[in-house]
Amino acid sequence: MILETFKLSKSYGTIQAADDVSLEVEKGTAFGLLGPNGSGKTTTLGIIMSVLKPERGSFKWFGKEPEPSVYKRIGSLVEVPNFFNYLSLRRNLEIVARIRGTGDSDIKRVLDLTGLRNRSSSRYDTLSLGMKQRLALASIIMGNPEVLVLDEPANSLDPEGIAEVRKIIMEQKEQGKTIIMASHILDEVEKVCSHVAILKKGKTLASGRVNELLVTDDILVIDSGNNELLKKGLLEKGLVKKAELRDNILEVIPSSGVSSGIINAYAAEKDINVNQLYIKKSTLEEQFLELVKE
Amino acid sequence: MIGLEWAKISSYGFFRVILILTLSLFLLTVFVFSRIDISLPGFTWRNLFRFPDIWPSFAWVASWFNLLLAILVITIAGNEFTGRTLRQQIMTGLSREEWLAGKGILIIGLALFGVVMVSIAGFVFGFIYTRELSLGTIFSNMDILLVYMVQAIGYMVLGMLFITVLRSNTLAIILYLLYFIMIEPIIRGLCPVEVRPWFPVKIISHLTPFPEVLKVTSGEALDNSNMTFENIGLMPRQLEDSTTTIMALVYILVFAILTYLAVKKKDL
Repeated sequence: MILETFKLSKSYGTIQAADDVSLEVEKGTAFGLLGPNGSGKTTTLGIIMSVLKPERGSFKWFGKEPEPSVYKRIGSLVEVPNFFNYLSLRRNLEIVARIRGTGDSDIKRVLDLTGLRNRSSSRYDTLSLGMKQRLALASIIMGNPEVLVLDEPANSLDPEGIAEVRKIIMEQKEQGKTIIMASHILDEVEKVCSHVAILKKGKTLASGRVNELLVTDDILVIDSGNNELLKKGLLEKGLVKKAELRDNILEVIPSSGVSSGIINAYAAEKDINVNQLYIKKSTLEEQFLELVKE
Repeated sequence: MIGLEWAKISSYGFFRVILILTLSLFLLTVFVFSRIDISLPGFTWRNLFRFPDIWPSFAWVASWFNLLLAILVITIAGNEFTGRTLRQQIMTGLSREEWLAGKGILIIGLALFGVVMVSIAGFVFGFIYTRELSLGTIFSNMDILLVYMVQAIGYMVLGMLFITVLRSNTLAIILYLLYFIMIEPIIRGLCPVEVRPWFPVKIISHLTPFPEVLKVTSGEALDNSNMTFENIGLMPRQLEDSTTTIMALVYILVFAILTYLAVKKKDL
């Protein structure tokens, strides 16, 4: 096990930022932390990176109590990139190398990998946001760490920047590194992560493999002559677990063992003309929104 | 740790400016004072620039600029809080203790800079103005430079305490200066006379006391007399030098422990 957290809790005044957050991240997995703003993703990452003190709970990295040397095995970008404004890119990376004890030999590799070699002598405060983010990525892959902890790595980037960042992350993933990534960009989590935990108001709402969380109920999309009546009837009859009208289109999640044919037959029995009926795969986004909505 | 700290500050403009400013102001001050040539019967101003009295004189002048060094330490450490680079360094694998050790090295380095500055200036002015040179007179009283170093460290460690607790450069610098100039003097003034000499700023600033100008400038005339500023009531009674030094070291230790706790226990 790479990371285990046990009931991590932290509050800021009356706001419970993390509430009994327990996670398990196995070696080689890409673990996503999903949640709306204020759900506790960054607080959780701050605690596991030892920059925030939990009020309760504990965590282990690599099966051991956390100690500073552990973090030399982890590359992390939590919130925005933080570097010395008045120093060049190279000097900033030298500082990272000194802390990690890797020597300066890796600097060229990471500058090449992130496409920053030509700007290595530029001051950090002259970089664009995208370049700052790339420098952050360069710094976290310095010394080839076993784990990458990323908080909204594509934040504020243009589509090209997002693609570049994602490419670097995917390359690291393919090298077998463990990735822990907090993001509100669901598409990103879906594309990068194999496991996901969904947080809301500091609590873990769901956790598991992305493909397991995805394989839930299919949604039947129905357009009929009387959607209101059909919705009411299906719910009363217990043929659906859930029914909602969206833009005058009925979306239902059938009860267990109920097929689209049974629903179609019920509509015919009630003299409701069905114009359209098709199955829509529920996306992670829909499930995410479903989980986190009030 | 030295390499890491140097990598962080060597290109920092404010660091260079403060060092140059400290050096320039100190040299300008001692140069201007050295040009004053007051010679009354029995009193010679230039004695302040002769071995061995030059050492306490120069240490006292250099102590004026300790505040600049403390402001520099506050700014360097404060930038790492406000720019969140400390947070990033901790996540990269630096321990909070290592970060503090780095700042300790910075403080000692700056104090050594002050000692070297006073030493070189002292030797130059001493050789220029001393008529009769001997090893004994040159190096006598030079131990005040160590005491000056302790004093400079005291100023800077107190600055570290302010910035680690307040985490805002502006607030820390303002409150630090107010503490020196107003807060502690007011508190001291409200306390009984016998308690007043024991306050931290009083103790630390008194490590390099105002030179006994009367005795020094009068040469041998008052050398063995008890005519000091304290004895004639021009300055309040102070603690013994050894007591002052020990108490200063105790205060420095207390400030360092409080700084450690402020960094160790708080979120970054």
